Amino acid sequence: MTDHSKTARTILWRTFLYLGLAAVTLVALFPLFWMVSSALRPEGQILAYPPRWLPATWTLENFAYILGRFAFARWWLNSIVAAGVSTALVLLLDSLAAYAFARLHFAGQRVLYLVVLSMLLVPIQVTIIPLYMLFAQVHLLDSLPAVLLPTTANVTGVFLLTQFFRNLPGELLDAARIDGASDLRIWWHIVLPLSRPVLSSVAIITVVSSWNSFLWPLLVAYSDASRTLPVGIAQFFGGESGVSGSAPQFGPAMAAACLATAPVIVAFLVLQRSFVRGVALSGLKG
Amino acid sequence: MDRGVRPAHPAAAPARGSRRTPSGVRLALGPWLFVLPYLVTFVLFRFGPAVAGFLVSLTNWNLMSGSGRFVGVDNYARLATDPQFRQSLLQTLYFMALTVPALVILGLLLAVLVNQRLRGRSVVRTAIFMPYVVMSTVVGVIWLWMLNTDVGVFNYLLSLLGIHGIPWLSDPNAAMPAIALTTIWWTVGFNMIIFLAGLQDIPPELEEAARVDGAGTFTTFRSITLPLLRPVTFVVVMLTLINTFEVFDQIYVMTGGGPGLSTLTIIQFMYYEAFQFYHVGYASAVAYVVLAVLVVLALIQRRFLARGDLA
Repeated sequence: MTDHSKTARTILWRTFLYLGLAAVTLVALFPLFWMVSSALRPEGQILAYPPRWLPATWTLENFAYILGRFAFARWWLNSIVAAGVSTALVLLLDSLAAYAFARLHFAGQRVLYLVVLSMLLVPIQVTIIPLYMLFAQVHLLDSLPAVLLPTTANVTGVFLLTQFFRNLPGELLDAARIDGASDLRIWWHIVLPLSRPVLSSVAIITVVSSWNSFLWPLLVAYSDASRTLPVGIAQFFGGESGVSGSAPQFGPAMAAACLATAPVIVAFLVLQRSFVRGVALSGLKG
Repeated sequence: MDRGVRPAHPAAAPARGSRRTPSGVRLALGPWLFVLPYLVTFVLFRFGPAVAGFLVSLTNWNLMSGSGRFVGVDNYARLATDPQFRQSLLQTLYFMALTVPALVILGLLLAVLVNQRLRGRSVVRTAIFMPYVVMSTVVGVIWLWMLNTDVGVFNYLLSLLGIHGIPWLSDPNAAMPAIALTTIWWTVGFNMIIFLAGLQDIPPELEEAARVDGAGTFTTFRSITLPLLRPVTFVVVMLTLINTFEVFDQIYVMTGGGPGLSTLTIIQFMYYEAFQFYHVGYASAVAYVVLAVLVVLALIQRRFLARGDLA
């Protein structure tokens, strides 16, 4: 009898949990589903009320519209170049510096490392004004270098790599040194190959934060030649401005949103494990 | 996480051939050559601006005219009595009050849920985390569309419950809650992931032992799981406080600080002062107030974690 009611309770409890799982999945995915579903319907159906869950007629006209009317492909390219170059630079500069911090000895090393780490506290929001003045001074405003250069002063990467390099087996590095290998060779041939997981985490963090970065590019990228996706989307499809301002054009806005989001979502689904680890390691904010 | 921030002692290293070797000069310079490229970007784009920001905050520099003079702490004194700054600060706190508890509690509950031995839980984890990788401006645009007063899907769903036509983003009272809701949807997956990592570090034997002793699910959770999660919870609370305090992007896209100034937050106040009114001296003082708050939060975190170590 007690056994019976216990099983019944367990079944009830598990049903409840499964319902919970289904509900949160629905809530989490619905806005993304709605973005895709809205992007694929003609403008007339966008404003239809009550809304239909799926388009009555499917169309790519919203995509054609944003690709034809805006320099969308250019923003896309700018975002890719900015993410690619800044990630390459971050991996190179950070791993060199981290090697010195973790495995070499020099005067002032400890203090320097502490100064670098202290900047973990200082977010970009606090430094954008002087940064802007700096780039204005050297006449680099409204350029891709202005968008991507500040991202190379990356602190999280140095921190994560230094921690990892410190835990590498010392014997291996010492053996190489005894064989006469220079530090540069050791860094390239031994340390970097042993550090693939952490390097991929740093790469993912950097790509994603560059791809999603908004405030700084908003300030320094104001023509199509240097505008990145987040800026283009905010300026043309955001609440205050243009396309959706006077006469709402949510179809094109959702098409733009789809095109900007697709690469990150695909990368996330493919590289899920390293993605989650990287993001969790850094506490990165989109 | 914090253990890393403390400088680990450079592993008691025997003469790793620095000064004593014949080619001593080259080797002493060597480490600097590794650090130097990074150091240049670090000083130019991070450390330099952080220090320069304070100096700028002591002037009345104008971005448009490109001139200004030293005014001491006048900017800070002015901030103390500026009603708009006060309003933006209070509204930032309001935004935090709406989001932080929800993000922490919901993050924990979701982590517990997807940590149960249930079929399909990894799919659910993926789904909950997915919004977090979407860029802020896209999040803003999607919710702008969903929250549209007349044809938005959100009001349609509410109308099924008998609630009609709430002007989410054009009503000063509804705008901030709407932005908070957007933010919770966007970032709760991050907190869930951190909590999940914490839950998975708890040895299952502890919870099983409690259950064998006759403790129910809730008792086990309250007296075993929650206390063991305390350090993780603290980290999540701190990160959430910091991130919500710096909110900018989604508000910029969804309301631009309006209607009126009802969703103007502190970073937005700084942004408009600097780049619309060109008062960069004044805006830099705002930036430094922000930094001061972050430093205080970090100090609290250090103290708390240090005490936790002793216990």
